[in-house]
Amino acid sequence: MRVLVVEDDKDLNRQLVAALGDAGYAVDSAFDGEDGYFLGDTEPYDLVILDIGLPKMDGISILEQWRRSDRKMPVIILTARDRWSDKVAGMDAGADDYVAKPFHMEELLARVRAQVRRASGHAKSEIECGPLRLDTKTARVTCSGQQVKLTSHEYRLLAYLMHHNGRVVSRTELVEHLYEQDFDRDSNTIEVFIGRLRKKIPADVIETVRGLGYRLSETPAEA
Amino acid sequence: MRFNSLAFRLFATAAAWTLLVLPIAGFIIYQLYRDDVQASFDGQLLKLVNAITVDSMGSAAGEAQPLPPSNLYEPLFEVTHSGWYWQITPLQPASGRKLVSPSLATWTLPSPEAKSVAPDASGARWLNTKGPKGEPLRIVEVIDSLGHEPGKPRYSIVVAGPQDWLDHLVANFRYRLSTALALAGLGLVAVTLFQVRFGLLPLRQIERGLAAIRSGTATTLDGDLPAEIEPLQSELNALIRSNQAIVDRARTQVGNLAHALKTPLAVITNEARTDKTGLGDKVVEQAEIMKQSVTRYLDRARMAARVGVIGRVTPVAPVVESLARALQRIHQDRGVVINIDCPADARFSGEKQDLEEMLGNLLDNACKWARREVELSIETPTTTSRAKNRRLAIIVADDGPGLNEEERARIGKRGLRLDETKPGSGLGLSIVLELARSYGGTCELGRAPQGGLSVHLNLPAG
Repeated sequence: MRVLVVEDDKDLNRQLVAALGDAGYAVDSAFDGEDGYFLGDTEPYDLVILDIGLPKMDGISILEQWRRSDRKMPVIILTARDRWSDKVAGMDAGADDYVAKPFHMEELLARVRAQVRRASGHAKSEIECGPLRLDTKTARVTCSGQQVKLTSHEYRLLAYLMHHNGRVVSRTELVEHLYEQDFDRDSNTIEVFIGRLRKKIPADVIETVRGLGYRLSETPAEA
Repeated sequence: MRFNSLAFRLFATAAAWTLLVLPIAGFIIYQLYRDDVQASFDGQLLKLVNAITVDSMGSAAGEAQPLPPSNLYEPLFEVTHSGWYWQITPLQPASGRKLVSPSLATWTLPSPEAKSVAPDASGARWLNTKGPKGEPLRIVEVIDSLGHEPGKPRYSIVVAGPQDWLDHLVANFRYRLSTALALAGLGLVAVTLFQVRFGLLPLRQIERGLAAIRSGTATTLDGDLPAEIEPLQSELNALIRSNQAIVDRARTQVGNLAHALKTPLAVITNEARTDKTGLGDKVVEQAEIMKQSVTRYLDRARMAARVGVIGRVTPVAPVVESLARALQRIHQDRGVVINIDCPADARFSGEKQDLEEMLGNLLDNACKWARREVELSIETPTTTSRAKNRRLAIIVADDGPGLNEEERARIGKRGLRLDETKPGSGLGLSIVLELARSYGGTCELGRAPQGGLSVHLNLPAG
């Protein structure tokens, strides 16, 4: 899951990036409106955390322009302006949620999880797929009741596939959604991580669709 | 027309002047006319008495007795008791011949000289008396000697004319004069009334303009006003604009202050949470207190900035719709439905932001606790009574667990949260209470028919 943080306060930006990174997201950050707008317009983020009062271009305008050019990723507005008129303006501009500063990081993370789940069409905080079970609140994966120990990169990969289960996910899409912007994008690393994952969970859960990518199968063929 | 109004003052002074001056003018005109008519009547009588004197005394130079007038002069001297008489009476010696007009019959005219009336400059004596039928008579008397020679026998020559003819003439004039003056007076009063109304029309326009500003249908005092009150108009508009600008500036600055303070607070809190020594907890605790103070005083500043601002009216329906849209999105996962019953013409007499703040907090609370549905119903005033008494009745109810009486009593206190499991700062309801109070409204908690909490908000309607 790739998240963009647009926040002009350097300390807060750093804290958000750290907290989101710890929670298993690939995070990019922008410190002013123009950079933020450009990143959100060109990169395929799964979620954006957007401040309203930004230098160069304000958050509401950024959001409106994204929505106008059909960028549909969930956007959580994070701002000090906590009056309902501000909230309504933000929601009307196309935001999906609104968090007022100062905020509890746990609450923000909960809202991020909820938006990501909702965007991929899952109503509950636990996603099931065959024997696999992903608890988005605790970032834990179990397989037939047994906890699966994953590295953070493995977790990111599996969580993305589980969020989009039943659908073929291409390698390019995986690279775009799992790594930060400045990451060395070599799609071979994906194959390496898929290989490692297959050793930790039943190998046939992740199906390779030749020439297209990978699919998480709801009902893996009984081996 | 009210007693204490410019229109009444102008009208009353003009009307009083008219009512005072017209009778005085009428009286003077009447006097002048009567004197004039009297003078010409007297002149006619004097001419007659002189002619008769010359006829009876002058031509009879050698005669021992006066002669009757050679001319009739006035045909009515022939008609009995016509009111026109002449009489020649001997004075010295009294044995002389007495001559009278046929109209006098057996009646004798009194002699002014006998009643010791002093003669005027021409030697004539005047007297008002009654005739044979009791009719008022005007009498003139000249005393002369035969042949106009001193020492000859002296006679009194008297001519009388009917005074009532004169009185009749004057009364007729008086009637027509007073009718004409009364009509003129009425006309003047009517014109004054029109003048006052027309002249003060621009003031009415200002009155209507101010009412429009107060009710929010206009933001400035519009219209083409006369030169005298145009400065008032432009000053008032400037005042309204500057007032509005001050409020807007205060709000903007308050917003900027909020932004400036809240971001560092967020940073401090987040940083402190990662600290596992006791210091971190203390910082988090103190930062929370600071956050509440910032919120409280920013709210106060917003309210203070609004006091005394006139002329802001907010249509309720658009506010409710956009709030419901935003809230249903925020609480999407809970699947709560917000049912709205809001008349299209409902208007709140106050700032849009404040209405949004009150309804937003109430609806947000209701959405957090509701099981399935939130009801928002708004009633507009049915009475057509005076604008200041019109109220909006707003009810927000949910079908959640609700509160018992003791909880309802406690919940209004600032910062108090009954349940820490639901997100929120706990300031919502107390902000609503303070805002409602600052508008002279009320906010009461109760039990909803569907089981949950119901909040009754009473606010001034626009």
